[in-house]
Amino acid sequence: MKHHLLPVSPANIHWGYFSKKVAPALTLKSGDRATIETLTHHANDDYERMIANDPGAESVFHWTREHKAVARRGAGPTEGPFQRGSGEGIGVHLLTGPVAIENAEPGDILEVRILDIRPRPSCNACHAGKCFGSNVAASWGFHYHDLIEEPKPREVVTIFELDTSGEPYAKAVYNYIWTPQTDPDGIVHPTIDYPGVRVDHTRVKKRENILPNVRVPARLHFGTMGLAPAESDFVSSIPPGYTGGNIDDWRIGKGARMYYPVAVPGAFFSVGDPHAAQGDSELGGTAIETSLTGDFEFILHKNRDLGGTVLEGLSHPMLETDQQWSMYGFTFPNYLAELGQDAQTDIVNHSSLDKAMRDAFRKLRRFLMTVHHMSEDEAIALMSVAADFGVTQVVDANWGVHGSIRKNVFMCT
Amino acid sequence: MSIHAFTSESYPENDRIEAWQDVLGGFGLRSSPLSAQYGEYATALSRASLDGVGLMRFAAGPQVFSPLPRRADLPVALVPAEDGAVLKAGGSPQAVPAGRIILLPRQNDWNVTFHRDMRAIVLSVTAESFGGRKISLPECRDAVIVAPGGLADILRHTLETTSEALENLSSDDWNTIRLALAEMLLTLSRQKLSATADSAGIGAQPALLHRIYEAIERKLGDPDITPARIAQMEGISERYLQKLFESTGDNFTHYLRERRLQRCWADLANAAEAHRSVSDIAFSCGFSDAAHFSRSFRDRFGLSPRAFRQQEIERLSDRGVRAERRGWPQDAIAQLRPHRQSPVIAPAELEPAASTLPQGGAPAHHHLPADAAHVHWGFFSRALKPLIEIASGDTVTVETLTQHASDDPELMIKNDPGAESVFRWTAEGKGVERRGAGPMDASIYGRGAGEGFGVHICTGPIAVKGAEPGDVLEVRVLDIVPRPSRNPEFEGRVFGSSVAAWWGYHYDEFLSEPKPREAVTIYEIFSGDEPYAQALYSYRWQPQRDPSGVLHQTYDYPGVPVAAGTIRRRHNVLDGVRIPLRLHFGVIGVAPREAGLVDSVPPAYFGGNLDNWRLGKDAAVYLPVSAPEALLSIGDPHAAQGDGELSGTAIECSMTGTFRVVLHKKADLAGRPFADLTYPLIETETDWVLTGFSHPNYLAEFGERGQSEVYAKSSLDLAMKDAFRKVRRFLMNTRGLSEDEAIALISAAVDFGVTQVVDGNWGVHAILSKRLFTN
Repeated sequence: MKHHLLPVSPANIHWGYFSKKVAPALTLKSGDRATIETLTHHANDDYERMIANDPGAESVFHWTREHKAVARRGAGPTEGPFQRGSGEGIGVHLLTGPVAIENAEPGDILEVRILDIRPRPSCNACHAGKCFGSNVAASWGFHYHDLIEEPKPREVVTIFELDTSGEPYAKAVYNYIWTPQTDPDGIVHPTIDYPGVRVDHTRVKKRENILPNVRVPARLHFGTMGLAPAESDFVSSIPPGYTGGNIDDWRIGKGARMYYPVAVPGAFFSVGDPHAAQGDSELGGTAIETSLTGDFEFILHKNRDLGGTVLEGLSHPMLETDQQWSMYGFTFPNYLAELGQDAQTDIVNHSSLDKAMRDAFRKLRRFLMTVHHMSEDEAIALMSVAADFGVTQVVDANWGVHGSIRKNVFMCT
Repeated sequence: MSIHAFTSESYPENDRIEAWQDVLGGFGLRSSPLSAQYGEYATALSRASLDGVGLMRFAAGPQVFSPLPRRADLPVALVPAEDGAVLKAGGSPQAVPAGRIILLPRQNDWNVTFHRDMRAIVLSVTAESFGGRKISLPECRDAVIVAPGGLADILRHTLETTSEALENLSSDDWNTIRLALAEMLLTLSRQKLSATADSAGIGAQPALLHRIYEAIERKLGDPDITPARIAQMEGISERYLQKLFESTGDNFTHYLRERRLQRCWADLANAAEAHRSVSDIAFSCGFSDAAHFSRSFRDRFGLSPRAFRQQEIERLSDRGVRAERRGWPQDAIAQLRPHRQSPVIAPAELEPAASTLPQGGAPAHHHLPADAAHVHWGFFSRALKPLIEIASGDTVTVETLTQHASDDPELMIKNDPGAESVFRWTAEGKGVERRGAGPMDASIYGRGAGEGFGVHICTGPIAVKGAEPGDVLEVRVLDIVPRPSRNPEFEGRVFGSSVAAWWGYHYDEFLSEPKPREAVTIYEIFSGDEPYAQALYSYRWQPQRDPSGVLHQTYDYPGVPVAAGTIRRRHNVLDGVRIPLRLHFGVIGVAPREAGLVDSVPPAYFGGNLDNWRLGKDAAVYLPVSAPEALLSIGDPHAAQGDGELSGTAIECSMTGTFRVVLHKKADLAGRPFADLTYPLIETETDWVLTGFSHPNYLAEFGERGQSEVYAKSSLDLAMKDAFRKVRRFLMNTRGLSEDEAIALISAAVDFGVTQVVDGNWGVHAILSKRLFTN
């Protein structure tokens, strides 16, 4: 077993997409561990608190008229003229990786264990040692067309500080309404339509003393974690799918084990979208987006060894924690295949919880029948009395419902 | 007819290909592998009617389609959504451009190869799809890719729009469209397949015969139609006309009668024609003598026109229930309207309160037993007379019975005087006659009094002194104790039942046969430090004849005693599985403000069938008082339930609860968390749980149609919206947050979950942790 280190840098990250074409930042063997740094793509909502003097973050976010350290942000076109910028922001998450796993082949399952998660403190002398995050009630939020106060519509950024002195919690520092921001290439962003645009704090009005007396208990986790899909070379990081990705379940934190179907040789694991806290549904469009560093262990399960294990027949991401198993249902289990050529942009027009619930039901039924050898009648009876279905997210185009079954239901496992 | 959603994800890896072949087979197609990826996935949504029109849109991996040899039906129409398919039929392979119709004769040799992932629409029409009308099937020539333009474009557009709307089309919509699709495909096949066969010289004879068939269709209603007149219309001799028919092995007179009978058959079966009398229909189809028609019809179809019509109405209403879920059928509500009569309620007996009288303002304790005099079954109503009156702050112990005790009467009813009095049912009558909000004479479906429009045995109602609309009633659960069996054989043991029922979420998509089916699982409940339930045995529902003589094909009426001899017990079910208990009451509600009887199944603003397991011991629910004295009822006891209540029921187990009931007067609500309350709000030790519904106030939203519509129009997307709005309002009102603060907090810290997808009015709840607030 070897322990690797993968710091953030323009060479070790890719922005806004999963890809089987990107050269791996690290190659390791099944059983190896790695410490992987991740950055939130919302760090520029408050540059002073989340980027300044942090060499890793500065190198990634660096963007002047002359030089943009990471040009491509999203799975969109990289040839101009651009509406929003290279990659067009079709996919927004800063992902560290890919990590290639030796001998991984399509049909295998990659198990990723999260051993630990730590926040990334500010390097700015004024805020030294403190940790910050940003929450955006964005245009892709569930609430956006259902606002009751003026001005409508609006996007709102709330900056949180993470207190880790005791039981960790987040506390709001201030918020502001997004105003049109001009990026160094001269493109104006009237809404939050492209990641990593530095917000000019002279052009927004900060409101302090917000959410007084409110402490949000921390749930450190990675919103986006998964493998490169086979269907396209560049796949937007926003909709989650059969190889995982932007699942946005806060249970994918310390102690969790995720299982992903390998779709391309080498698996190509990437991780990012670090969250300090999120509710089931991620209603406003984002969590408390905070840069985090994780310790991971990777275990490759070869296809031929899956029979008779909990991984038999697995064709979608699955979570195991100490207490439960969760199956992830989506509006489209594999939207890339189901929606055809324009899947990555078309999917947002088809979001539905009802379909995601259907999918979660089917996946959990399959799990109980295949893994626990239940008859269909037993599986359905058990789901009604002991399985819990929850809303994972309603903001990532391919909406999610998770179906969970507690481990203590089974006496012998 | 049925809508079928298929996804290979439902099946274990090894069964996926076979399951997919089954789906394709219904459309006359067979698939073979192209690459190793084959069978990886496929999803499809299809709709088909019994007479043989089927439409499916699907997405699947690369594969090759070839015909499944079948009898003479119309060619299959396949429309790929993307470029890249290749048709091979006879000559050299042809690329199929996206959006073109390929006509694929069923008996020829051809194949269509999809090299990449595909999406496509397929239409299959059998020869029987034309209501007995004779169609001259086009000669089977090679498969063709139809050039765009004219009818081909119209058919393609219709296929595309129909396939998109497949789930949302009503039966009537679909019936109209499927007829049109069949006709269009027939005409297109004639044009295109004959055109390619021009050289083979398709005879003038079939064309003439086709015109004659069409002329007969137009003239069916004319009682004076004769071979001579038809021959004259087509400019041929009567003798030639007769010869033409002979060449098809038929004769004119027989064909004409058959067509007239078929049209009558179709009209009699059509609900939209229900206002016309049988003889009216016969005349309009060219029969001039009603008695003669009746005889001919019976000879042809084996039953009289009247009997046939009755049978169709029953069949349709059965199907209506299945398709639209529970509750009142639309047309029954329409019939009620003119009379404006609200159903009559058997007056509940006003019992002398079995309670210690309040002494000097100190809270009193009351006890409500569960017996026939203390329950109402399957409905809520502000017109019900209260059984006892209590004061704010009093405690009350309420015995409740599960309506599923009759799933095994030996375990759950026998020797229990309370349960026996409620479930009593002999040929002469029932302990509790009305079960549900439907008509007492069961004139809609004939299931029984109340029609089972609402199923829960509710103990109550309890009047709360001084309660008025606008107040809030707090009902706090102090304790819950399961009700042990009184049968000496099982003395002291506790049992429950869970039914995977026809209103369950799973019911439309079984994997294994028989489909569909209902299954009952009987559980035993064990107490201790970590109490749990364990399955004892299960059985498939078999048609049960109730003591009044009504046969229940499905679980369509509550409290029908299941006779042990009629079912087959399967033991060793859910071996090695222990279900941790979550004791709670599914139903806690006050009387709705609307008049009349309200089905107990859909929850709404007044509470009712909340089915949220968090409403257990030490939790409270705050309900908006909507009728004078509140009229609180409690029932539907559950030993355990998952979020979703997927199969339609929890572990239903009779239990006794003790509650503290506190009345919060409207004037005193300001500043309280339950100020401005218009929905049931649950409070646990750690959380506020806000209940969102598809239709938060369905009775008002849909008016008189509410008790029917709510079953047809439920959606998690709507319930999620409602839950969001409620939690936003809660945060803004009770915590003084701005909208922006509220939304930031919801996104970061509020958990939304699926409460249930089986109670008509589907539920999503929002859980707001009390830990968030430091003050």
